[in-house]
Amino acid sequence: MQTKKDKPALPSVWNRIFSKNSEWPDKDEFLDVIYWARQILAIVLGLIWGVFSLQGFIGLALFALANAGILYIYFTSFQSVDEEEYGGVWELTKEGFMTSFAGFLVTWTIIYSGLHH
Amino acid sequence: MWADTLLIVGISVFTALLGEGVTWLLVYKTEKYQRLKAEIDRQSKKLEKFKETCSDTLDKGLKKKIDREEEKLKNNNRDLSLVKMKSMLAIGFAFTALLGMFNSIFDGRVVAKLPFTPISWVQGLSHRNLSGEDYTDCSFIFLYILCTMSIRQNIQKLLGFAPSRAANKQSGGLFGQQPPSLK
Repeated sequence: MQTKKDKPALPSVWNRIFSKNSEWPDKDEFLDVIYWARQILAIVLGLIWGVFSLQGFIGLALFALANAGILYIYFTSFQSVDEEEYGGVWELTKEGFMTSFAGFLVTWTIIYSGLHH
Repeated sequence: MWADTLLIVGISVFTALLGEGVTWLLVYKTEKYQRLKAEIDRQSKKLEKFKETCSDTLDKGLKKKIDREEEKLKNNNRDLSLVKMKSMLAIGFAFTALLGMFNSIFDGRVVAKLPFTPISWVQGLSHRNLSGEDYTDCSFIFLYILCTMSIRQNIQKLLGFAPSRAANKQSGGLFGQQPPSLK
């Protein structure tokens, strides 16, 4: 994650990720956090779906819901950012979504094939 | 199935790194590319700011200025894609050959079992060169494409080679965005 133009008083990115209502003066920095959070979440969800042998459309739909929902709660309730500053909820939701979807499919398929076939 | 799937992930990481490595040698490290990229980032941010602050003013002078900046940005974007073209061609040829080799190794082999049945227009890819009617059987090419989509993009971002958001936004994803290479 790139850290740019941090004011000296600003805590580190890691601190701000886990603390409520942090300040994000650099929009790109927060979008990077959302991007990587989505990628990690996708791998974790892929692992869970694979281990519990979730199948079919329900698995895909649940992933989309969980991935969009968890991050939505994170940036609206936990970080309370003003979505309009980032171009709306949609812009934040699609940040890294397709990449994370591909990562999820790979993890889900590999774990499911390896454990159950 | 572990061996095949993990091998494909390995192949995908390898080809993504190779692709980025070659692009670094041919493009990223050249002075022209760095200059153009810096220029485009700077101009995109400037334009974004301009548009934000002047969205509700009808000042003709400002509009002209924005148009001029947009024109400059367009030219720079065109130059950048020309610089990239050389390496894209080289990588395209090399990867087509590599993919052909991997395709023949995995020909007709079910490398994984999909936990879902793909929609009909994806089945041509997910069931490529496989016999039988079980559409949850996964071919090499499908898993490889999925791996590449996620791994290449993430590697580019990690290494800082992905185009900046501002540039992507201003160019409407036409020039700045690099589709994940499937070759």
